[in-house]
Amino acid sequence: MLLVSILVIPLATGLIALVVPWRPLVGWMAAVSDAIVLALGIGLAIRTTSRGPMNALHGTLRADALSAFMVLVIGTVALAAALQSVRYLRVEIARGACTPKRATLYIVLVQAFVTCMLGAVLAANLGVLWVAVEATTIATTFLVGHRGTSKALEASWKYVVLCSVGIALAFLGTVLVYFAAIHPGGGPVVAHGVNTLDWTSLMSVAHRLNPDVLRLAMALIVLGYGTKVGLAPMHSWLPDAHSQAPAPVSALMSGVLLSVAFYALLRFKAIADAALGPAFPRTLLVVVGITSLVVAASLLLGQRDYKRLLAYSSIEHMGLLALGAAAGSALAIAAVLLHVLGHGITKAVLFLASGELHQSEGTSEIAKVPALLSRRPALGAIMAVGLVALVGFPPFVLFASEFSMFRAEVDVGMGWVVAVTFICLVVIFAAIASQGRRLLLGEPAVDAVQETTPRSVTVPLVIALAVCGLLGVIAWPLQSLLHAAAHVVAR
Amino acid sequence: MGAADTSITAMGVVASLLQVAAIVIGGPLLLGLMAKVRARVEGRVGAPIHQPLLDLRKQMRKERIHAEHSSAVLIVVPFVFVSTAAVAGAIAPLVTTRPALATSADILVIVYLLLAGSVALALAGLDAGTAFGGMGSSRAMTIGALAEPALLLAVVAMSIQSGTSNVPAIVADTLNHPGWSASPQRLLSLGALIIVVVAETGRIPVDNPSTHLELTMIHEAMTLEYAGPELGLVSLGESMRLGLLLALTVNLFIPWGVAEQTGGLAIPLGLAVLIAKVAMLGVLISLFEVRSAKLRLFQVPELLAGAFVLAMLAIVAGLVTT
Amino acid sequence: MIGYAAALRLASGIVLLAAVAMLWRRDLRAAVPVLAVQGVALGVVAGTLALHQHDVGLGVTAFLVLIVKGFVVPLLVWRVVRRDPKIRETAPLVNVTASLVAAAVLIVLSFVVSAKITALSPSVATRLVPLGVATILVGYFLLVSRRRAVSQIVGLLLIDNGIALVTFLVTSGVPLIVELGSALDVLLVVVVLQVLVVNLRSRLGTFDLDQLKELHD
Repeated sequence: MLLVSILVIPLATGLIALVVPWRPLVGWMAAVSDAIVLALGIGLAIRTTSRGPMNALHGTLRADALSAFMVLVIGTVALAAALQSVRYLRVEIARGACTPKRATLYIVLVQAFVTCMLGAVLAANLGVLWVAVEATTIATTFLVGHRGTSKALEASWKYVVLCSVGIALAFLGTVLVYFAAIHPGGGPVVAHGVNTLDWTSLMSVAHRLNPDVLRLAMALIVLGYGTKVGLAPMHSWLPDAHSQAPAPVSALMSGVLLSVAFYALLRFKAIADAALGPAFPRTLLVVVGITSLVVAASLLLGQRDYKRLLAYSSIEHMGLLALGAAAGSALAIAAVLLHVLGHGITKAVLFLASGELHQSEGTSEIAKVPALLSRRPALGAIMAVGLVALVGFPPFVLFASEFSMFRAEVDVGMGWVVAVTFICLVVIFAAIASQGRRLLLGEPAVDAVQETTPRSVTVPLVIALAVCGLLGVIAWPLQSLLHAAAHVVAR
Repeated sequence: MGAADTSITAMGVVASLLQVAAIVIGGPLLLGLMAKVRARVEGRVGAPIHQPLLDLRKQMRKERIHAEHSSAVLIVVPFVFVSTAAVAGAIAPLVTTRPALATSADILVIVYLLLAGSVALALAGLDAGTAFGGMGSSRAMTIGALAEPALLLAVVAMSIQSGTSNVPAIVADTLNHPGWSASPQRLLSLGALIIVVVAETGRIPVDNPSTHLELTMIHEAMTLEYAGPELGLVSLGESMRLGLLLALTVNLFIPWGVAEQTGGLAIPLGLAVLIAKVAMLGVLISLFEVRSAKLRLFQVPELLAGAFVLAMLAIVAGLVTT
Repeated sequence: MIGYAAALRLASGIVLLAAVAMLWRRDLRAAVPVLAVQGVALGVVAGTLALHQHDVGLGVTAFLVLIVKGFVVPLLVWRVVRRDPKIRETAPLVNVTASLVAAAVLIVLSFVVSAKITALSPSVATRLVPLGVATILVGYFLLVSRRRAVSQIVGLLLIDNGIALVTFLVTSGVPLIVELGSALDVLLVVVVLQVLVVNLRSRLGTFDLDQLKELHD
């Protein structure tokens, strides 16, 4: 019942939004549904850590600690995004850039998008997981192009074509895993049925899967879901889509969609680890992880657009996650999951703040919106703290998670990887610091726009940042959940 | 292995000589037939079918003259051109699957005999140092560079099926396995082969044998410098190649009627069936030519690359089904 | 009456042949019937397997594939092509000759890639896997080497059909729920692309992907 209601509540809200004409109340209703999902997610987390995995709908849905953790992340970011969506739509309608009809479309698509992500993390079957991830592409394409400018349409074209190709490869990989599963070596033949692609049944036969086919499958999976995660070299859709989408959508995409695709990678990696040993999946993930870091570092250096800056930073953090997953120990996976949460919240705050900025100043060029701290003290301070959290300064949670990931990587003998990562992080820090300085400091022009940010925007963002800071210092509320979740997929 | 007989029998030699005679006389007649069909379809009476033979006789009687600054290449090439076609005609399975030297009739031997002739002609085009000759040679080699691999692959696809690269053996095997003619690899390689044959013999839509328009001509450009008996030899060589390629294509796909023995009535019967089959194919090609326009030169490589992929697919079909 | 093996081989061969034809022809209108033929061939592959294995679920899938890929998707593509003033792929990034030669190379490559798959369970069906892999690779090549929006949609569909072919050949189709989901997703992606093409065209006049150059670093 719990699992079904997690899926049904956002979907039902979306359906209601479809039939009632647009008014801000509909937006608030969506936010309430996300809050309920978050609350149910907390309940789910407590249940799965204390009493183990649970099933629903005849085993179609399954939640273990890892799924519960992902529900938490989705709920948190979705709530923050939904709160901001109400204001975004109100301002757009007031400007005449958006009709009430398009506002309805927006809310419906966002709710569908959130439902698909929840479906992906709650699916027992890896095939259903694929269907859900592919469905997020369809839901988000129109959201990316929601502003309707030619740039936004271009971004959504690139997004849908690249992600469809990528996700198609992931499907091929899934099919090959299925193929290996119905022809296992040694022992009885597995029934060719609906449950063969269930993650649990795959794990139970993993050691008997044909290694040659599984290697091919794993390469396709990393390439395929990697496209959706935004790992280089299949990342080129990401900066365009994230910079063109409305800010709440960018927050959702960057904060959780990438992580949901990454969650799929984690599940498959656990199977590959059991079937092939850690070396092959590790090599794949290290290659894409390092490439992503290098790409992000080199493109961040000359970045002139604050939304694209954040997008490239997402590529960087996904690279870090890939490297952490490559290490694969329980500590590494726990750190990866903490990083997913920390990155989700921090990136959501930054995207929402930059969306507020973009909406009121009409440009996303850094050079055109200088001296934020003196012109818009509240928004400027939020962005400043957010950027500090993003580059991994203590006390914020990303510092703790990155530090733990490095330790875990050194533990499994990936010292040189840590060294390369460090170099990239220093470059990225320099890039973000210098762009951040231009954005935040300096003398405002005499006739510059002054602060217009209302409390309703700043308060949730401040709370989110506070959570980030607190989690970095005291992670105990999450400790048992992280521990349980990490042991689901760690070697 | 239909033709694994290594001994050279007297009847085999007779059969080979008959095959050479058939393409020497039949090739020009085929050209005449195709011109006639074309004329009739276009509503003209047209020249008699044996007109190309009459032309040859006229050219042979003329005085030998050579272009200034030309070397021995210009003189030697016509003989090379005709003799390669003749040798290929002697060993290929046209009238019978057991001509003399049938064991030497490997795919590679036949393809490279024809290729040697093409290269010789391209050299002749360059020899006199005129602009048109060089242009024609360059164009012919461009086409050849794609056509030859396609030809090779198409025949290899068939050799995979019968497990030998000996052409008479492939034809004999096809006779024993009638279903092969309709198999995917055969149909695909047939497609490739027909495109290649059209390109190699310079027919529409690749080249127009009856044009001397400098912008489009390929084959004719190479032979511009020839006159008299040498021109006659080159024309003879061209028609021999046309006859040979059509006969070979037809035998690879519809082998019925080819003599499997060299005794008694088999050879004359084989000859008669061959003439009928090739004449029919000639008429079909001619009808197709009437209805189609020549491709622009830059599109020709696309067509031939298509033939190449078709041949490749034929091999793939062979590999996935065996 | 042709046998199971012959029908399977013929239909799979047609899928790949259609992919190559797509690379060969530059007329975008020609893409529609070729796509339809490919979709029908794919349906025949699934249908043949269903008959051979007496699998009702697979039979349903085959029917679904036949309808969606053989009729609905080509129809949607036709609606995009119909309104396009420029019906030819005038200047592909790689010319047709080189594309075709590349296709030949890709076909060889697909044999290398699929060797391991065939080795796990050699059968009439798995031996045909290279054809599906080659279709995927040709589709990918089409996608990256052509400039017209329609060509990109076609490339995407080729990849998708190739993957469907591989799926049917190696596993006789994944569980029905996944199959349904993926069919629906494909359909929706085509609809999405169609809407985008219409939107972009109304904004830019005719729509080449070369015109999409505003977003870059």
